[in-house]
Amino acid sequence: MDGLLSAKLLRQLEQFQLLAQRRAKSSARGERRSRARGQSVEFADYRNYVAGDDFRYLDWNLYGRLERLFLKLYEEERELPVRIFLDASESMTFGEPRKFDFARQVAAALGYVALCGFDRVSVISFPDQPEQSATRSALRAVRGRKSALEFFRNLSQLTAAGTVNLNTALRRGALEARQAGVAVVLSDFLDPAGYGKGLEALAGRGFQVNAVQILSPEELSPSTYGDLKLVDAETGALQEVTFGKFRMKSYQQTVQNFCQRLREFCQMRGIRFFMASSGTPLEQLLLKQLREAEVWR
Amino acid sequence: MNLLAPAAVAFAAAIPVVIVFYLLKRKRVVHLVSSTLLWQKFLAETQASSPFQRLRHNWLLIIQILVLLLAIFALMRPFVAGEGKTGRLRVAILDASASMLAKDLAPNRFEQARSELGKLIDSLRGNDQLVLLIAAAHTEVKQSATTDKLALRRALDACVPMETPTRLGEAFKLAETLVKNRPESEGPEIHLFSDGAALGLDDFANKNLPLVYHKFGKTADNTGIVSLDVRPNPSDPAQRAIFASIVNFSTNTHAAELELLFGNDLIEARTVTLSPTNTQPLVFLAPQTRDGVFTLRNNTEDALATDNRASIVSLIPHPAKVLLVTRGNRFVEKALRGVANAEVTIVPALADSGQMFDVVVLDDVSPATWPAANTLAFHVANTNLFATLETVKAPPIVDWKSGHPLLRFVNFDNVQVADALGVKTPPWGASLVDSPSTPLLVAGQLQRQRLVWVGFDVLQSTWPLRISFPIFVANAIDWLNPSSSRNAELMVRAGDPFHFGLEQSISSAELTTPDGNRKTIQIEPGSRELIVGDTYRQGVYHLKAGTNDVTFCVNLLDAAESNLAPRDELPFGKYTKVTATTVKRANVELWRWLAGIALAFLLFEWWYYHRRTA
Repeated sequence: MDGLLSAKLLRQLEQFQLLAQRRAKSSARGERRSRARGQSVEFADYRNYVAGDDFRYLDWNLYGRLERLFLKLYEEERELPVRIFLDASESMTFGEPRKFDFARQVAAALGYVALCGFDRVSVISFPDQPEQSATRSALRAVRGRKSALEFFRNLSQLTAAGTVNLNTALRRGALEARQAGVAVVLSDFLDPAGYGKGLEALAGRGFQVNAVQILSPEELSPSTYGDLKLVDAETGALQEVTFGKFRMKSYQQTVQNFCQRLREFCQMRGIRFFMASSGTPLEQLLLKQLREAEVWR
Repeated sequence: MNLLAPAAVAFAAAIPVVIVFYLLKRKRVVHLVSSTLLWQKFLAETQASSPFQRLRHNWLLIIQILVLLLAIFALMRPFVAGEGKTGRLRVAILDASASMLAKDLAPNRFEQARSELGKLIDSLRGNDQLVLLIAAAHTEVKQSATTDKLALRRALDACVPMETPTRLGEAFKLAETLVKNRPESEGPEIHLFSDGAALGLDDFANKNLPLVYHKFGKTADNTGIVSLDVRPNPSDPAQRAIFASIVNFSTNTHAAELELLFGNDLIEARTVTLSPTNTQPLVFLAPQTRDGVFTLRNNTEDALATDNRASIVSLIPHPAKVLLVTRGNRFVEKALRGVANAEVTIVPALADSGQMFDVVVLDDVSPATWPAANTLAFHVANTNLFATLETVKAPPIVDWKSGHPLLRFVNFDNVQVADALGVKTPPWGASLVDSPSTPLLVAGQLQRQRLVWVGFDVLQSTWPLRISFPIFVANAIDWLNPSSSRNAELMVRAGDPFHFGLEQSISSAELTTPDGNRKTIQIEPGSRELIVGDTYRQGVYHLKAGTNDVTFCVNLLDAAESNLAPRDELPFGKYTKVTATTVKRANVELWRWLAGIALAFLLFEWWYYHRRTA
């Protein structure tokens, strides 16, 4: 599938279904239970007949016993909006394999599971890149399994460049959404401005938020030593450092602390948090971590 | 507390260097990363565009500067005057004689010896003491016992080589007194830096001197003039005969190009082939119409230039006026008349001091007034000359000094003496003919008057019947004749003092040395003699003392000095020898290097520390 996911993995993913903790609030029909009444096979309740109701939903058996007209009500099945926030900033282009490639694969897997479940999938990549506006628009609302191929093709055409303010991007995504659903944030969360307000905005809008932090092996265990002048790829900021193997442990401790703070932040706000290295196998995250966390079943 | 090397404070210049290292920032490799966020949380290093950073409080810096200050302080070598443990005593004798000027070692033996001695000074431990003696014709203490290496270095630098013979005996005597009675724990040692061209060390055969002999020299490729004399030509009194000897000390045959000059005029040039290790006697004949200086020059290139030139003053001979005071002695009279170039006057008694005569001969006559001129006295009992006088019957002649000019060609083999005056050898003279109980012939100088005293009446001996008697009389008149003795007085060996009698009292004299330098010599009021001691350079000297203008020559003329063969062993008498050491090397101090390494390590430590901590 355009090199994003293997056929074997796709077959495995077809068996999964996204688990929504809340009933779907979407206005469009789907296969998710909702609080709305409508047409489905699931009986919900009776109500008195009023003029104008569709005779096809009258319960004639009950009329025969009670000689009163009652209307049978069924649960309306709505679709689940799945919004995937994909960090496409310059910092995601680093790592071997690249963090952005890993993030696209995760997005493709999530989107495929959602499409197989007849849910609506939106991929919001940030920052904005005018030359990719068509691709980005095509990824805004994808439905149905038959759209999967097109979905994958568009996803693979996305590129990462530029700087981003994670808070701003997530808040805007939260505001733009007409119905809340499942939100998945794929990012390295290495934003000097922070990530708290953006995630809070999503959670506050009613999204069931899943935060997936993707770091490269080089960021977890740097292999460049000596007297270095580090240049931030996004901001261009300089940082002078003398680094050696003997400082590796304390550096890794610093990274762990950073990740732990993000994890705690998420837990306090009911956000599921996952952390993955772009060097680890994709199946490790998809088939184990997300399944164990009941993101899908 | 004082400092042995206060100049080491210059090392303090290293402190700003250390501080600059702390101010400087190192050049870094530019590396692009996804984000510096994680690094910012991790790193402590601040970023700045300037190559310097603000000097921060840093214990490492303080410790380093402290260590540096201590190192500098140590380099300044502080010391306190106190009762410390006595160190070892070293007596260094530096041979500065003419042979040390040989150029077989570059630049010459003396400089090599000076360099080695410098290493010995460097190797001295903290409280080791060293005495520096320089030995040539005389021994001079250049530096008394001290631990101050700077003072020793200064004294060593002040040493200069001389063109004089070596007389190490004097130096050894001095060194012996210094090391004598020193405890064994101090391990006193005498270090001799020489080529071993030294004679007359027999006195030290049983002294067991703790001597370490540092030998200098390689080859013996040298020819040298070892003797020079000028005399009237016996066959032509108008001419002068210049006698010289030149020795080839090398094992190869050499052709010596010799030139004889009178003043600056070339008299004769001669090429002489010198067989290996052979002495070649030479005689030059030259007319002489005025007083002047004969110079013999050897133009052959060899290792030692000093012995390639010798000069001698030649004065026109004047007839000797001899006064014979005798009651009648035909033997003496005939012998005197046989002396060439002598005018003899005979009187029975001496009325005055005989100032008109050059030589007075007293034959068994005790004058009322002792003559003022040089005197030959036969059997004269004068209590002014000898403390005790007695009569000795038939004293046998057991020994005589044939090397003295008076006894040249004189033999006492068949001489018998009936009786003689028994005396003890006086301080003013030396006994030339000895019997077991008394000296029979004493020659010497008393208050600038030459005296030859014969202790027996020649008529009471068989001596006048021997051929040696007229020869002795001729030798005696020649030796006592002021004009001929003047010739001998005007040539001195390098390093020996030149004596000049003053007729009138003067306050100063001017000496012109061979290199043209002029020196003023101060003379004590009332002094009747001027002594010139600064004769360490050979050549022609001019002395202007009052109205007198004297020229005298200083020559090396020493076969032992000209023989440049380095001696592996120093002979002390017949059975004792000291072998040149090559094992006992001077210890070279390493602390300077260690201090330098410590300083370098300090700087490396700074670099390594900063490499670890950003």
